[in-house]
Amino acid sequence: MILHVNHLQPDRTALTSSVVSSLVTVAGEGQVPRRILDNLSVHLDWVQYKTNFREAVTVRRATKGEDLCPWIEVGVDLRQVRQDTLKEEFIQALNEAAADATSRKRVYLEPFTPMRCSIIWTFNNLFWHHLPLWEKASGRGFEKALPSGQSDANHPLAIADSVADFWTLLKDLENQKQLPAEIFVLEIGVGTGKRAAVWLNRFRDLDRERGTQYYPRIRFLLSDYSVTTLDAAQQTVKDHRELASFLAVDALDPFKSLSFLRYKVLYIHLTNVYDNLPTDELVTRDGRLYFVEVRSYLPAAEASRISEAFGVPPAEFIRTVVRLLEAGPQHLSLSDLQQGVGFWRAVWDAVRLEERFVSIEGVSEAPLPPGIRPSQLETFIASAGTNQRFHVSSGAVESFVNTVPLLHPRGFLQVQDIFVTDLADYSRMFRGPGKMDGSVVNWVNGALLAEVGEQAGYDVHFAPFHYREGSRTSILYTTHRE
Amino acid sequence: MNLPILPTTVVGSYSMPGWLERLKTEYFARRISRHELDEIHDSAVKAAIKDQEVAGVDIITDGELRRDNMIDYFAERLPGVQTDHGSKKFYYDFYDSVVRGKIPMASLRLVDDYRFLAANTDRATKFCVTGPHSLVKRIRDEFYKDEEAFAMDIARVINLELKELVRAGVRYFQIDEPYYSGFPEDLQWGVRVINTLVDGVDARITLHVCYGNRYGKPSWAGNYRYLFPTILDANVHQLSLEFARRGGEDLELFKEFSNKFELGAGVIDVKGHEVETPEMVAERIRKALQFVPPDRLHILPDCGCLHLPREVAFNKLKAMVQGARLVRREVGG
Repeated sequence: MILHVNHLQPDRTALTSSVVSSLVTVAGEGQVPRRILDNLSVHLDWVQYKTNFREAVTVRRATKGEDLCPWIEVGVDLRQVRQDTLKEEFIQALNEAAADATSRKRVYLEPFTPMRCSIIWTFNNLFWHHLPLWEKASGRGFEKALPSGQSDANHPLAIADSVADFWTLLKDLENQKQLPAEIFVLEIGVGTGKRAAVWLNRFRDLDRERGTQYYPRIRFLLSDYSVTTLDAAQQTVKDHRELASFLAVDALDPFKSLSFLRYKVLYIHLTNVYDNLPTDELVTRDGRLYFVEVRSYLPAAEASRISEAFGVPPAEFIRTVVRLLEAGPQHLSLSDLQQGVGFWRAVWDAVRLEERFVSIEGVSEAPLPPGIRPSQLETFIASAGTNQRFHVSSGAVESFVNTVPLLHPRGFLQVQDIFVTDLADYSRMFRGPGKMDGSVVNWVNGALLAEVGEQAGYDVHFAPFHYREGSRTSILYTTHRE
Repeated sequence: MNLPILPTTVVGSYSMPGWLERLKTEYFARRISRHELDEIHDSAVKAAIKDQEVAGVDIITDGELRRDNMIDYFAERLPGVQTDHGSKKFYYDFYDSVVRGKIPMASLRLVDDYRFLAANTDRATKFCVTGPHSLVKRIRDEFYKDEEAFAMDIARVINLELKELVRAGVRYFQIDEPYYSGFPEDLQWGVRVINTLVDGVDARITLHVCYGNRYGKPSWAGNYRYLFPTILDANVHQLSLEFARRGGEDLELFKEFSNKFELGAGVIDVKGHEVETPEMVAERIRKALQFVPPDRLHILPDCGCLHLPREVAFNKLKAMVQGARLVRREVGG
């Protein structure tokens, strides 16, 4: 048995050592067969998100073609684990690892599928399409679910700096007689529209103060894939309606809707969009490469409890979940909409992911984001450690490569999000997927984005978001590469 | 060699295959030898020549596939310029190059490239060189402290090389100066440098000015008005400008400013992967003909095809040739 202590919390070393002690005791007491112990790796993690898709003790198997690989991986979440049940759960997990899926007390919602295709992303879409229903039921706006209780997108000092940088760029272009007649600005994923409004207010004030007459030339494009969200944003920026436009845009492919702006947008901004886009995960174990497949499930006891609470016959449970995802909470055969939203929230709360690793021969078989050639990432992936698990950030990379062609040769892309800027950092901390209220959240592989950007002719830099103490947000800053 | 009316040509580079990019980078990592890389380049150049011939291009190049980028191939060869060979990890990156003393006169060793091209085709050929203005923008100057003086010395070295190339058989040259568009304030001295560069060179000279094509993207925005009237003093035969991506509005400049130049009109967008139809190309040529007579019009892409996938580049060249043929019939060529 090999133990990997992936994340040591300085103030919880006692917990970690007692968990280690328990596991070693179980192994030493002969409660685990020798052949399993010989092939066992145990990873101790601190799963950052309070709500996530993992049990306290999780078992992961690897497959190669049709065959099951002999080695077994067990993940222990130090945040969830209870000392009094650890041994029992550990032995049970190992027993389950060798058993058929039907013997597990779980209600599966899907077969094994690559992470980015999992049904959890359908839940994620449901959340954004029916956000007001969720917020009404939870009694709080979605931004309150963020760790700080507010979005860093709207931080006034950050916006003031952003405006100042942009004004300087415009002035420089004007000095070089290269300032376009129309100054295009694009925000993708506008949420409430608050950031856009604050930004425009600030820009208008600065422009007036300096007498540069740039403000009337601004064409501010607010984009989101939710029309409901755009309607709300329209109200928020009503003071600037003459220069604001509202566009339904797929964050994965902004170029599809905005190709007429190729090489014309001087400033593009996104906050907390990339961390909410589908991703796959790659894993290296002893030098071999795997990708992660998942299947979502509810513990059978949880499914029964929810069925009973909402009057859904057990045999109808999965069908009701499918209907929820296809038609929304207002179209369930429950007594009223409130019940429908309650069912949705209960199911989401209980959803877990079972994981397995699928062996692949090389990067060419890996599920890479669209538009990325395996040869582009061979060296990068080879730089991963021999035992590492990391996001491919499929959606973020796809969005990035489909956004940068909009940039004016002197324009810049600014993204505020949670980035892993060094691949090695994946070994030190759990990076998602986690649950953020009704949506999915993952850290974004910034190191990979930088590599992709560099090869496409863009410099990608990261700076910590220093405007709020303790913020985990970073600012990605992209410009054309010389 | 007789050329048809509205002759077609390319702007130097041809599609760089992914496998060649990897092998070039392998060379920098010292995993393959210089000799092996030279053999690989020879094969790739032959394939690029063949593609241009099959597409029907009238004046072809070697596809510039031996070059890592438009700067380093010359920076490495310029006497007195020091290049830090450890300063790039990907072949397409720029070397950190620096000049610390007056540039002496010496050969750039480009004649072999031309001889290889000429030996492998019966078509008319063109030889492309990066202009001094672009080179001084990328080579760090620790000696001259004056860009024009630095560029002028580079021009004198390249001038000797062009004459050597003429002796070897070159009839068409193209000087690439995309950095004009980023530094329009330099144009006056830029033209003086060009005139030194081409002084006494007995060949047809094209000056190519675009808005950059680094990584297949424009480096600058704007329009060509900044070129006029200063560019009229350039002792070149042809201006090669991009009109496909940016539209043909700047063609008006050829009517507004009386000039002697042929126009190399860019009618293929090399920054998009969508292949133009011959009819689309023909329409762009017809538009150019409103401002330039047919005997002074050459047909070419906006810039090099370096960043286009091979299939796309090949099909774009075919469309260009077919579009030119459509219009030739209309003008009696």
